[in-house]
Amino acid sequence: MPKWNDIQEQSFLESDARARAVGLVDEGTFTELAGPFDRFYSPHLETLGEAVEFDDGIVTGVGKIGKTPVFVISQEGRFIGGSVGEVGGAKMVNTIRLAVEFYDKLVAEHSDLTDEEKPVVVISFETGGVRLHESNAGLLAHAEVMDQLQKARHKVPVITLIGSKVGCFGGMGFVAAATDAIIMSEYGRLGLTGPEVIEQEMGKEEFDSSDRALVFRTTGGRHKYIMGDCNVLVHGKVADFREALGKLAGLPVSEFEKMRRIGSPELVEKQLKLVALAAEMQPKDARDVWAKAGNADAATLDSKPFDEFVASVKRLEV
Amino acid sequence: MALNTLEFHVKIDEGTKSIDKPVHLGVVGSGDMEVLMEPKDLKGAVSIKLVTPVAGFDELWKRVVETFVSETLLGDVHLEINDNNATPAVVLLRLRQAFAEATGE
Repeated sequence: MPKWNDIQEQSFLESDARARAVGLVDEGTFTELAGPFDRFYSPHLETLGEAVEFDDGIVTGVGKIGKTPVFVISQEGRFIGGSVGEVGGAKMVNTIRLAVEFYDKLVAEHSDLTDEEKPVVVISFETGGVRLHESNAGLLAHAEVMDQLQKARHKVPVITLIGSKVGCFGGMGFVAAATDAIIMSEYGRLGLTGPEVIEQEMGKEEFDSSDRALVFRTTGGRHKYIMGDCNVLVHGKVADFREALGKLAGLPVSEFEKMRRIGSPELVEKQLKLVALAAEMQPKDARDVWAKAGNADAATLDSKPFDEFVASVKRLEV
Repeated sequence: MALNTLEFHVKIDEGTKSIDKPVHLGVVGSGDMEVLMEPKDLKGAVSIKLVTPVAGFDELWKRVVETFVSETLLGDVHLEINDNNATPAVVLLRLRQAFAEATGE
């Protein structure tokens, strides 16, 4: 494990799940729960004769940012594409559950808590969704995480980070969308059906997954920022994610309601307006939507220097 | 089809040294592996338990681990490895990295 100071300067994209987990919270505060020495690996993979990992590809633990207790979930994309199975899913579920229980206990015992003393959950996604080897157990894990997100609502903010190689796709794309806030780097990608799967099912004319520029302007951080799917866009270092996370972590939980994508009649209406807009516009490319959002320079928006982009971009409003 | 579990002991005669703290290193990516390295009283020996989907390379595994133990003079240590088709060079590299982390060298 690299030193904490070195992790800060590392690219989030290239860091492994454990380095991210350690680097996102204050130096020396991270304690791993259900770590590799506990050897909770997948019994299903073992039965299938597939390689197992001692942490099942998900790092979970607790740490602090300033005065804020932070419950950390960090997925490892290099282990079977960061897929979520029964054990990894249970680790996610129980980390969020612990955070909610901790919140209830804190609030019951201390009536004068400030917002920054209340816990948050942070999930670093790097996954293609369900681990198909574990079929129903994997699907159920997704549903259980969603259930915990509902239980955490109005109590413990759940903050998503996406800046990894694999991105966040499949069922976990739904899960990320159901969290309170999403922080991305421009290298992060978020979606439901992954680019390769779209091409496989619908053909290369529909979506050419070898066209990296197309993939990134359809699923990448810049596009998601314009669309409102991502709340905060950051540079690519671990320190950048940590800084953005620190800013959000101290906010009152009511502030997070404004950042959500789903979960109220108003937000459903907003989503439906987006669907209607898509039907009306019939966009052929993400750039059509960027232009619609008021960006006169839509054609070159994806190649603009990052700081310039963030300073000048107009985000879609419906 | 099933996962293969290999277990063996390696002991060298020279003065061996153990490690102070348990260490975990690596990710079970394709062509990669992870290792848990823990101090354990084994009367100077090193015990290895490794789980791999690959069959038929038991001798090679043993030789790689023997090379590692003889170059580090390790003893009283238990190693647990999850492998996913790592080549001998990668295995030796990961073991050396774990040793460096455990000893601070």
